[in-house]
Amino acid sequence: MSIANLLQNWSRYRDTHPYGGAKPHMGYKWAMAIDMDICTGCNACTVACYAENNLAVVGKEKFLNGKSMHWLRIERYWHDSVEAGDPIELADGKEFKEGKQFHDQGAHFLPMMCQHCEAAPCETVCPVGATNHTQDGINSQIYNRCVGSRYCNANCPYKVRYFNWFNYQDPATENVWPEPLNQQLNPDVTVRSKGVMEKCTFCVQRLRAVMVDARTEERLVREGEVQTACQQACLAGAISFGNMLNPESRISKQWMQQEVNIALDAQPKNKHVGDAVDKRGYRILENLRPYPSVMYLEQVRESAV
Amino acid sequence: MIENNFNRRDFLKVLGWGGAAVALSACGNTSVEDGTEFVTAHSTEGMPEYAIPGVYVHFNSTCAQCDSGCSIVGRVREGRVLKLEGNPESPINKGKICGLGQAGLQAHYNPDRITQPMLRKGDQGETITWEQALTLINEQLGGVKGNEVAFLTGGVSGHSGVLLKNYMDALGSANHYAYEAVTPSVVRAANKKSYGVEMPRLHIDKAQVVVSFGADFLGAWVSPVNFTQQYAKFRKGPNGSRGVLIQVESKMTLTGANADRWLCIRPGTEGVYALGLINALGAAGFKVPSAAAAIAKDYTAERVIQETGIPAEHTEKVVALLKERTPSLVLFGSAAEGYAHGSQNAAAITLLNHVLGNVGKTMAAPASVPFPQIAPKVGNRHALHALNDKIAQGNIKVLFTYGSNPVFTSHSSLNFKENLKKVPFKVVLSHYRDETAMEADLVLPLDSVMEDWGSSVPEYMADAAQINIQQALSEKLYPDTRGFGDVLLALLKQRRPTEYGQYEDFYGYLRNAMVQNKAALGGGTASDDMFWQKTVSHGIIKLPAKAASALKTPTATKLAFAAAAADEAYPLHLIPSTSAHMRDGRHANIPWLQESPDPITTVVWDSWVEIHPATAAKLGVVEGDVVEIASRSGAIKVMVYVFKGIHPDAVSVPMGYGHEAMGRYAKNTGQNVFKVLDSVFDKETGELALHETRVKVTKTGQKVKIVKDEGPYGGGQAGKRIALRKTTDKVNLSKEV
Amino acid sequence: MKIKSDTFIRNPKDLWKGEPEHTEVRDLSPHIGFNQITSDVVNSLENPRPIYWWAIAICIAMVGVGVACEVHQYKTGLGVSNKSNTNVWGVYIASFIFWVGVSHAGTLLSALLHLTHSDWRKSVFRYAEAMTTFALMTAGLFVIVHLGRLWQVYYVMPYPNERGIWPNFQSPLVWDMFVIGTYLTCSSIFLYTGMIPDLAVFRDNIHDGWRKKLYTFLAMGWQGTDRQWRNFRVAYLTLSVYLIILAVSGHSVVSSDFAMSQQPGWHITSFPPYFVVGALYSGNAALITVFIILRYMFRYEEYLNMDVLRKLVRLTFALAMIWTYLHFIEMATVWYGHDQAAKDQLIFKATGVYAGWWWLFNFLAVVCPWVMAFRRWQTNLPVQMVLSLLLNVGMWLERWLIVAPTLGHSHYPWTFDFDQWPSYIQWGILFGSFGWFGLLLLVFCKVFPAVSMYELKELAYARKVELRHAHAEEGHGRPELATKGAH
Repeated sequence: MSIANLLQNWSRYRDTHPYGGAKPHMGYKWAMAIDMDICTGCNACTVACYAENNLAVVGKEKFLNGKSMHWLRIERYWHDSVEAGDPIELADGKEFKEGKQFHDQGAHFLPMMCQHCEAAPCETVCPVGATNHTQDGINSQIYNRCVGSRYCNANCPYKVRYFNWFNYQDPATENVWPEPLNQQLNPDVTVRSKGVMEKCTFCVQRLRAVMVDARTEERLVREGEVQTACQQACLAGAISFGNMLNPESRISKQWMQQEVNIALDAQPKNKHVGDAVDKRGYRILENLRPYPSVMYLEQVRESAV
Repeated sequence: MIENNFNRRDFLKVLGWGGAAVALSACGNTSVEDGTEFVTAHSTEGMPEYAIPGVYVHFNSTCAQCDSGCSIVGRVREGRVLKLEGNPESPINKGKICGLGQAGLQAHYNPDRITQPMLRKGDQGETITWEQALTLINEQLGGVKGNEVAFLTGGVSGHSGVLLKNYMDALGSANHYAYEAVTPSVVRAANKKSYGVEMPRLHIDKAQVVVSFGADFLGAWVSPVNFTQQYAKFRKGPNGSRGVLIQVESKMTLTGANADRWLCIRPGTEGVYALGLINALGAAGFKVPSAAAAIAKDYTAERVIQETGIPAEHTEKVVALLKERTPSLVLFGSAAEGYAHGSQNAAAITLLNHVLGNVGKTMAAPASVPFPQIAPKVGNRHALHALNDKIAQGNIKVLFTYGSNPVFTSHSSLNFKENLKKVPFKVVLSHYRDETAMEADLVLPLDSVMEDWGSSVPEYMADAAQINIQQALSEKLYPDTRGFGDVLLALLKQRRPTEYGQYEDFYGYLRNAMVQNKAALGGGTASDDMFWQKTVSHGIIKLPAKAASALKTPTATKLAFAAAAADEAYPLHLIPSTSAHMRDGRHANIPWLQESPDPITTVVWDSWVEIHPATAAKLGVVEGDVVEIASRSGAIKVMVYVFKGIHPDAVSVPMGYGHEAMGRYAKNTGQNVFKVLDSVFDKETGELALHETRVKVTKTGQKVKIVKDEGPYGGGQAGKRIALRKTTDKVNLSKEV
Repeated sequence: MKIKSDTFIRNPKDLWKGEPEHTEVRDLSPHIGFNQITSDVVNSLENPRPIYWWAIAICIAMVGVGVACEVHQYKTGLGVSNKSNTNVWGVYIASFIFWVGVSHAGTLLSALLHLTHSDWRKSVFRYAEAMTTFALMTAGLFVIVHLGRLWQVYYVMPYPNERGIWPNFQSPLVWDMFVIGTYLTCSSIFLYTGMIPDLAVFRDNIHDGWRKKLYTFLAMGWQGTDRQWRNFRVAYLTLSVYLIILAVSGHSVVSSDFAMSQQPGWHITSFPPYFVVGALYSGNAALITVFIILRYMFRYEEYLNMDVLRKLVRLTFALAMIWTYLHFIEMATVWYGHDQAAKDQLIFKATGVYAGWWWLFNFLAVVCPWVMAFRRWQTNLPVQMVLSLLLNVGMWLERWLIVAPTLGHSHYPWTFDFDQWPSYIQWGILFGSFGWFGLLLLVFCKVFPAVSMYELKELAYARKVELRHAHAEEGHGRPELATKGAH
């Protein structure tokens, strides 16, 4: 293998993102939108994720030690309290809310999973290239290739990567799936071994199945043909998922309507001051320029009560 | 194996609507009843014949994790059911399924299931065969009178309910008790009184405003999957309209956490607040019927503030909103279930619904199945109390229990566990060796829901009447488990051999029963086989819609609310809370559910007590302190979670934790709050008033780290823009996709 | 004139007095001849003080502890080290940086000071260079120990394979692999090359046994001809230049593990110089520790003498001051910068759960070195021993406080995690690493010349020439002003 060959191979998987660069997405750009106004925080999506993706149940002690494996976690925020380091809620710093006696406007549930960033901080730092951007815009994780340096998680702004600290599939030690619980394991998804990193894959096994079908029929995947496990389970329909390059897809319409451009790190609509924007779409930690592929829609609360 | 369950298994292969299975079975003779056709090409030894390697087959069935009756689709591969999804055909869940339902898989594959009949020998159990077990039951029943036999179940419906009733008739016993530990039975009674039906059909999606008095309809109340879907429409109405949810309760439920305004009310004063709202509506110029106005006239703003503790500004805004935006919907859950005057509370709240004119608009009369024998028999706590009385008097000689765990869920002052010793022969039909099974003389292992056949009728039907079909989704894991229906049938054969001898198993009975009523079930002129195949492959029979009867008009009566007496020794209200996943603890041995954080506190794998910061400061406790919660009936030690979603006069502990048996995941996980509940009952229905227990909280000095998902900043964002929120006046929802 | 020999244990009364001045001992006593150097060094190989064997035993025990911890971790999984999905790194990475840092002082003494003709280095540079090699070998172990699947560590190397898979050349960890690998290779060659003349002396002075065979093999037929010396000097000079570049780039690359990331408290532009100077600083402190130990253990009092120590201490103090400056620069750029997350991180370090450690580190690494500024303590062995250890504790804490607080308190508040205290496994492996390093160094000093004989002889020669000049020009000049150097 010559040096030229080496560099050529290497640069082949180092696509330029966000797209519009040298190598655009090949017909697909999978993306997600989550409406936090109708998300009730019921956890159906998380259980569905456990079922679909063979996630290990780590137990009380390991959960306490921060080793939980929930690819999709529901975060619960309160907007009414002054807590440590949380003095000011609004960006312009004008409003300072005192802590109230009660959480009287409810909670704020935020489902957080891998944001499948277009310029993912995790990808550039992996020494072995185990995490990559696929041409359909997914941040993939190659378990066979992972050596477990955990640099990806150290550099992930959202901390949505989960490491196999133990050999969860070993019946002799961890016994996460004691007989016959192991019979439920999804054969389409690898049961990860000790020492590799894992994370939300946008249910890549489902995507690949329909993409292969579509390719044999010489077409692209149609809107609604595939759902992620969380989306399928979401009772309120708060999660939408689809191909952003399909102008007919709900997801592309949502992003368009909310004026969130995936290729920008600051949305033009936000140039208005404070609450002047009447649209709810935003991406979390956009200013760090990872160009995440998940758009969140702000929670809404009635102003009349 | 294959020979034994020939018909049933063969059937499965043609019933799936997964394309491959249909295509394959279509290659041969699909008339499978004669057993001439196998799909053998791909099957290997030990693998069921419908298992096609690498190909998913989808079968429809019904979820039995709670009583909502959601239809499910099982994704089956190589004979194993791997994932559950919602069946889009069901009007109840419309293709969705909650986390509890998903976790049904782990109930099926649970490593702690009972696999063989067990007979008590002293303190030990001895495995016996089913033949021995059934003979033993027959012997035991031989010497007792009909009324000395009792059957305790959870809510039952469908054909197993029919068999159960027939069995009790055959025994000459009237002692079938349907017991549910957590169930809205006071709500039912109050609804019946006020609207004429126990469970009206709710149109949350059509309401502009929903005022819920502790009804956790997004979490664990009645039919949460259906209600959550309605809620999504309610929030995202046409043209950008957005429904307003106001939750009035003393402890924040999941629904409260989603409310636009969460009003923290002094425990037990919900009825006062409802009447106060009526009074205020009248004062604000809303047309209130005179009878209702007369009842509410004493509930002035000052009195309401004083008794409920809800500030006037919020009440004024709520009244203005209710006046402005119609229709609205008023719901009630814990307000009714919780207190000795729960029925009074409920009456006041239903009156509010009448006053607001919601009856008939956002709530309608429900459909009902035209076959009363398969209609649901819903459970309540009162049933257990009645049974307990009989047991205590020594009137029960043989007791069957199925689908409930009374030793765990009964409150300790009932003394059920001790009384149970007076029953000479106790048969428990169960999946797990739970607390009740530990007390049994004979334990019969049941098929899991994924292995069993059945039919059911949900209590709350979202649309027209429907019958749910439960289909075996998976090969049996253990040869010596049996379905509930099969057990009943075997027992019935002992009593009425001529009548039931013709049925080989419950599946045969079920099929026969359905096929015989083909015409009434909308089968038309299809052949028996075609009708049955269609029925099973759809997993649901929708019965023709009947013109719904109108709901009752109000009859106003004078209401009285017992003032909460101050209790020096036990100053705090104990609110045993129901979480969507744990419910009454029947699913505590499912690891997914144990590891799924409680949505509000994010605690996993343990129980906790929620205490308001003000109360915590008074008690001198902080998060992680272990405190003793002592009532007059008992005490438990739990860790403190300081929480601003609870009234300062109350503390809350979740139900369902603290099993002493049941399996590796459930055992010794948390504390059982049922233990400390006092015997206080709703005056009208006799149901246990769950929130009436008074407790005192004392510090033990122990300290633990709370196992929870939230970080050290709790729900704060450390000044970062992570979770953003807007108010409705700042956002335009009308153009949203 | 007989020079008073220093001993490790002294009258406590003298402890605070400092060392009496021996102005005539400049780097090396003028009364030491070539034969004495040869016999002293050869003797040191065979007759160290008995404490040597105790030290060997202790080091083996420490390595045993480390190996036991690693075996347990390897079999059970990295989870036993008590990290979490938030705190994915910990003691291992901190110790990796620490050991890479220790390696830098050797290069400074052997290569940089070689170029500047600083003759006082001649007695210390050999063991310093050995420390470089062994510290890098220790650092490399930490990289492997910290991997989830350490049996796949070769994936980071670009080796030809039929699938055309290469490591990710964008990743600073791959740069690490290259730079540490190159640095280790070069420093080993440099160490060996410099020893060749000395090995030849050993070969000629030892008459049988395995040592004879070993030295004969390693001396590669060195005869000390002019041509050999000329080639030797060119090679040595070339290597030393190359090594300096490697040392500077080496720790700069290690710093880019952090500086290239996007985490608050890590992506700081001034990290490369900050790391390099910090490395020299902590490495020099380690040199002082080893200086005092070897001096006693191998009876090197004549060569590792007080004058050399004073210069070493002064150099350490100078480095400490440069590092302190960069330390404050680093904090100032964060404080006056626009990155709120980084600022929060700094405040968190000073006030959060790590505050105690952070202030301790600042005291140890910023305040403590001022002791070195006082002449009377510069050659006080107990003071310097304790001080150099404290400085290294401080500098280890510095590395740990770069790694740990940022992970626990980065961009996403929900996942903040302040509770993860490293388990005994992590501490055990760190403990073992000191044993491993010590064992390598002790074995080295017993087998190879820990002080360079030929350079000392050059020095001795120069000193004698100086003295002769001084006597010849008595009354016309002071010996200190005589021409320096042996070249």
